[in-house]
Amino acid sequence: MKNQPIYLIFLLSFNCLLAQTIVSGTVTDGSKSAIFGANVYLEGTYDGASTDESGNFSFETSETGTQTLVISMLSFEPHYEVGDVSYFTNLQIQLVEAINSLTGVTLTAGTFEAGDNSKVSVLKPLDIVTTAGAAGDFVAALQTLPGTTTVNEDGRLFVRGGDAGETQVFIDGLRVFQPFNATANNIPTRGRFSPFLFKGITFSTGGYSAEYGQALSSVLLLNTTDVPDQEKTDISAMSVGAGIGHTEIWGDQSLSLNTQYINLAPYENLIPSTQGVRWNSPYESIVGEAVFRSKGDKGLLKFYTGFNLAHLDIAQEDVNFEDFVRFQLTNKNLYFNASYRYFFDKEWTLTTGASLSWDANDVGIIEDAIDTEETASHLKAKIKKTFSGRLNLTVGTEYFVTDYSETFTSTDGFTFDAGYNDRLWATFIESDIFFSNDFAMKLGVRSEYSTVFEDFTLSPRVSLAYKTGKKGQFSLAYGDFYQNPLTAILRYDRSLQSEKTSHYILNYQFLGEGKTFRAEAYYKDYDDLIKFDTEMPQFNSTFSNSGSGYAGGVDVFWRDNKSIQNLDYWVSYSYLNTERDFRNFREAATPNFAPEHSFSIVTKYWWNKLRSQVGLSYLYGSGRPYDNPNSTEFLAEKTKPFNNLSVNWAYLIDQQKILYFSVNNVLGINNINNYQYANTPNSDGVFERQALRPAADSFFFVGFFWTISADKKSNQLDNL
Amino acid sequence: MKKLIILTLLFTSFATNAQDKYTKGMEKAFQLWSAQKNLDASNLFERIAMAEQDNWLPYYYVALVNTTVSFGEKDVEKLTQQLEKAKEFIDIAKSISPENAEILVMEAMINTAWIAFDGATYGMTLSGKNAQLYQKALALAPDNPRVVFSKAEWDMGSARFFGQDTTPYCKDVDRALQLFANFSNDTPFYPSWGKDRAERVSKQCAE
Repeated sequence: MKNQPIYLIFLLSFNCLLAQTIVSGTVTDGSKSAIFGANVYLEGTYDGASTDESGNFSFETSETGTQTLVISMLSFEPHYEVGDVSYFTNLQIQLVEAINSLTGVTLTAGTFEAGDNSKVSVLKPLDIVTTAGAAGDFVAALQTLPGTTTVNEDGRLFVRGGDAGETQVFIDGLRVFQPFNATANNIPTRGRFSPFLFKGITFSTGGYSAEYGQALSSVLLLNTTDVPDQEKTDISAMSVGAGIGHTEIWGDQSLSLNTQYINLAPYENLIPSTQGVRWNSPYESIVGEAVFRSKGDKGLLKFYTGFNLAHLDIAQEDVNFEDFVRFQLTNKNLYFNASYRYFFDKEWTLTTGASLSWDANDVGIIEDAIDTEETASHLKAKIKKTFSGRLNLTVGTEYFVTDYSETFTSTDGFTFDAGYNDRLWATFIESDIFFSNDFAMKLGVRSEYSTVFEDFTLSPRVSLAYKTGKKGQFSLAYGDFYQNPLTAILRYDRSLQSEKTSHYILNYQFLGEGKTFRAEAYYKDYDDLIKFDTEMPQFNSTFSNSGSGYAGGVDVFWRDNKSIQNLDYWVSYSYLNTERDFRNFREAATPNFAPEHSFSIVTKYWWNKLRSQVGLSYLYGSGRPYDNPNSTEFLAEKTKPFNNLSVNWAYLIDQQKILYFSVNNVLGINNINNYQYANTPNSDGVFERQALRPAADSFFFVGFFWTISADKKSNQLDNL
Repeated sequence: MKKLIILTLLFTSFATNAQDKYTKGMEKAFQLWSAQKNLDASNLFERIAMAEQDNWLPYYYVALVNTTVSFGEKDVEKLTQQLEKAKEFIDIAKSISPENAEILVMEAMINTAWIAFDGATYGMTLSGKNAQLYQKALALAPDNPRVVFSKAEWDMGSARFFGQDTTPYCKDVDRALQLFANFSNDTPFYPSWGKDRAERVSKQCAE
């Protein structure tokens, strides 16, 4: 038994190796309530346990020495205890709540999002494009949201007492300089872009991020699809034209092409526009768009390009002329946008891009000709660093270049040239700070320097959000916004300054299951608005920045897609009180584009038996002010209210073929947008007038949409 | 000599211990899961995953446990947490084992759980993704019974939604059943679910 001691030692050490230590303790949250189901374990081993209903855990381990004890639980930050295993008994562990993007507070003041999974989304891209009356134009669909007013003869976005020129559109963060089709006076325009290419739409009606500038009222942010799901071909045949689109994928690269030809001549032959217009050559356009994407391990590169050629020739009634006034327009527009995003280690993200646009108009008015050409570009780079779920910081810089020239030629050979070159620098810095899941802040500042008038501006922006309960939250926002005068002014006078506004917004949002309620009160203070002393801005006008104004109001939104099966509806109401003294106004007054009350209801019903989606939209706008020169009061009279009921019906012939019908203003209600008064009084000393009405009251649309894809399931319902 | 024997014994027992640790751990987790202790099972799979960072299976099972419990879950917050967790773990599994048909099927199941919860919200956006996932899985493993069956079941679901004939897909289900009978994979704990369900669907087809 000489070996016995050695044997004993072995036995001892063996025992020692297998000796079990008990690890135990309690896990609670910040308010000392027990956490059930947390995973507690020694890092790198299988030894561990889940906490019970009282937050207690206990497990045995054969590990010894210094170990790391990990406590992990969803919606809490992971907790680590480092020490000798023997000390891991009766631990009292308090977990810190993680900042949760799904249930936590969100910064929502002034913003409507339409995204796939975004929590703040009140609408999905699909909702937007299947809205009755929109006819595939998502800008028209946005006009069913509160904060906007329908200006029937214009078609662009008028937000909270702001002119359409106060709204800017961005694709993948880059400015689109001419987002709307060129058109004639009193003929509404449409957005240039096919909804087919966008997956996320953010529509901000005020108080937006310091990343965006040169927009007094609103920004519309469109994000192109990152990576398409599958290859497919979309074919459409419509009563107004035809289109074809195709997406091709090679590994991490993909290309989407889309082209459309529109010609309103056959429609005009069948159902002629009768109200104050004669088409010599109805609207005709050809559009081409392409998106190329290349995805790398950590980067994503996207190119977007769009080309548009449009022509129209119209004669319109004018109270100042015996004959109809002829207007011809040929518009060529080319837009190119490249963006690149790269994810560095340690939560650094670089986003950079450039957009370039070229736009040329060839206009003929009676016998005069106007040729315009605008070349503009936007360069942008920003870096974002996420320090933790609680703090991130974005720093960026951008540069805008605009070159505009115009030549006016009259029949007698007189020519006049106008134009300008603008270079604008901007830098911005912004931070999102989450104090807790209930309280968050966005803090930013933007500075701009314009070379046209050598002016430097600084705009602070702040937004706060506080969650009052599981479903409700309040938000507050403040911001200063500057915008250079529009081309119509800048081409004649470059000695001006930026126009300015300040936004104050208070928002309440309730998000229940399938139900959304939002109410927002705001006040906008306008300063340095442009004034001029002629009917329209012209070369010999005297311009100044002496204008001012305000807009205040309340916007309410309610959406419910849960209460009645297969029915989804939303209701918007906006109250707007605004007056401004700008342009050629002789005193402060409510402009023609600002009705006091706007109301809209949008419904969509999915009819399973008929495999159909039926939609109905109703829009109401109270009377819009107009000026009657026969009265001494300025802009004191109001048109009758605007009413429009539209219906649509999408029938799925099979999974990939859709038949689509829609009628805009199905009741044929006679809407009057404004009155045009004669420049001079008649023999009785009265200024005669004519009502400005839509060219046709109702518009009918029939389309057939066919998708060809490998899965035989995709369809274009989301493009209607 | 004795010393040597003891030493060898000790070491081999340690070595087999280390090897068995994974087997034991996984077996324990499966026991917990079959005893409906889903949370404990998920937590144990997670602990194994954290210790075996280059093995995709424990990650896969964390996702599977959390996804299966999500079908029928009505609490949106709980559902979101579970499905987000499933997605997080299946993404790691995917980075460990890319081009793995089982993982693609799992990913599609997570999407299906979302669609089952709220078809109106997630149907349009996730259907296309699922179609692509199943296609890719089928290209990678045309004879994997779970791939064949899951794809058939998915196709049936959308055919039913559009009021179309589902019988063409019954053939695929029957083919999947044959494949289930012959399918084998040497990897321990390789996924093996789906046969019961395929039998049930096949029976419905016959009716």
